[in-house]
Amino acid sequence: MAEFQLPPGSRISNDGKTFKAPEGAKKVRRFQIYRFDPDSGQNPRVDTYEIDMAACGPMVLDALIKIKNEIDPTLSFRRSCREGICGSCAMNIDGSNTLACIKSCADVKGADVRIYPLPHMPVIKDLIPDLTQFYAQYAAVKPWLTTRSPAPPDGERLQSKEDQEKIDGPSACILCACCSTSCPSYWWNSDRYLGPAALLAAYRWIVDSRDDSTGERLDALEDPFRLYRCHTIMNCTEACPKDLNPARAIGEIKRLIAGRRH
Amino acid sequence: MAPRPLSPHLSVYRFAYTMALSILHRITGVALASGLLVLVAWLLALGNGPQAYAAFTGFMGHGLIQVVLGAWLLAFLYHLANGIRHLFWDTGRGFAKSAARRSARMVIAFVVVAGALLVYVFFCPVGGVQ
Repeated sequence: MAEFQLPPGSRISNDGKTFKAPEGAKKVRRFQIYRFDPDSGQNPRVDTYEIDMAACGPMVLDALIKIKNEIDPTLSFRRSCREGICGSCAMNIDGSNTLACIKSCADVKGADVRIYPLPHMPVIKDLIPDLTQFYAQYAAVKPWLTTRSPAPPDGERLQSKEDQEKIDGPSACILCACCSTSCPSYWWNSDRYLGPAALLAAYRWIVDSRDDSTGERLDALEDPFRLYRCHTIMNCTEACPKDLNPARAIGEIKRLIAGRRH
Repeated sequence: MAPRPLSPHLSVYRFAYTMALSILHRITGVALASGLLVLVAWLLALGNGPQAYAAFTGFMGHGLIQVVLGAWLLAFLYHLANGIRHLFWDTGRGFAKSAARRSARMVIAFVVVAGALLVYVFFCPVGGVQ
């Protein structure tokens, strides 16, 4: 059921600290960042860091790394590739989910840059959510090729250029979880609704011309919660940092299920 | 170790047009369904003779009730237009970000124009509901 309020232990306290900009800073910008320390036994808080943007890289990730290196080494976040292909630094920046490494600080309107972990997720520490459930949902759609026909003896299973183009988009998903954690349906029903990322992956295998389990895959999704909690809100498609369209993929799955009834 | 807190959601997520239209669709749907009770009351009044009917129309003519009826009309127009938007999605069309934004604007424009027109027709002093 939808719980609109955060549970008591999750509410943000007023104990946030402020780290002032150094003397002589030229272009000061304030970063308000969600903090949670599992060892403190205290509620989450929001710390404020004043950063001299004249001495900082352009992206939000650059600012986070600067904070960790120069101001507060206790700040925790995931990051790896810094070029939008690993999906590690997914977080809620300025009210929307995106990757910190490809979000420019200059694109954040308003005075302060507000940074929270991906919404409605269990927080391990600071900006690091627990993605166990998210990955389990991905695994639940069996994201691998299943075949009944024997493989060609002399090479790979081939497909036409047109068939390849059908899976080009969904294959580009990096599993950053920006879409699923932007979805209110997923917030309220993540225990039973698979969410846009897992469904996009399911669609990728459903439309793969080489896969022989299309029927079974649709059977597994034909469920009031797993698939049909999608109400086409479109937050997923708006949030996707790779410009993919999970909402369209889910719509196509619904159409395929409706279509095979005839 | 303390249990893991739940990260903030509604309180931090930017309230974009996507969520606004979606929750409005649900609210107007609930309003329309519960508004059917008014229709039932109207039929009951109709069946109970001229006196009951006069009492009913007298009650419905109250200013506040008229405002609620006007809101109900707008709810109907919104639910109708956004429902058609959903039907388009069900045929696999209109999922591109630009298309979804455009159809959202069309829904709002329809509600404003048709709403203004029908509110004028039904609620202006000449004719219409008393």
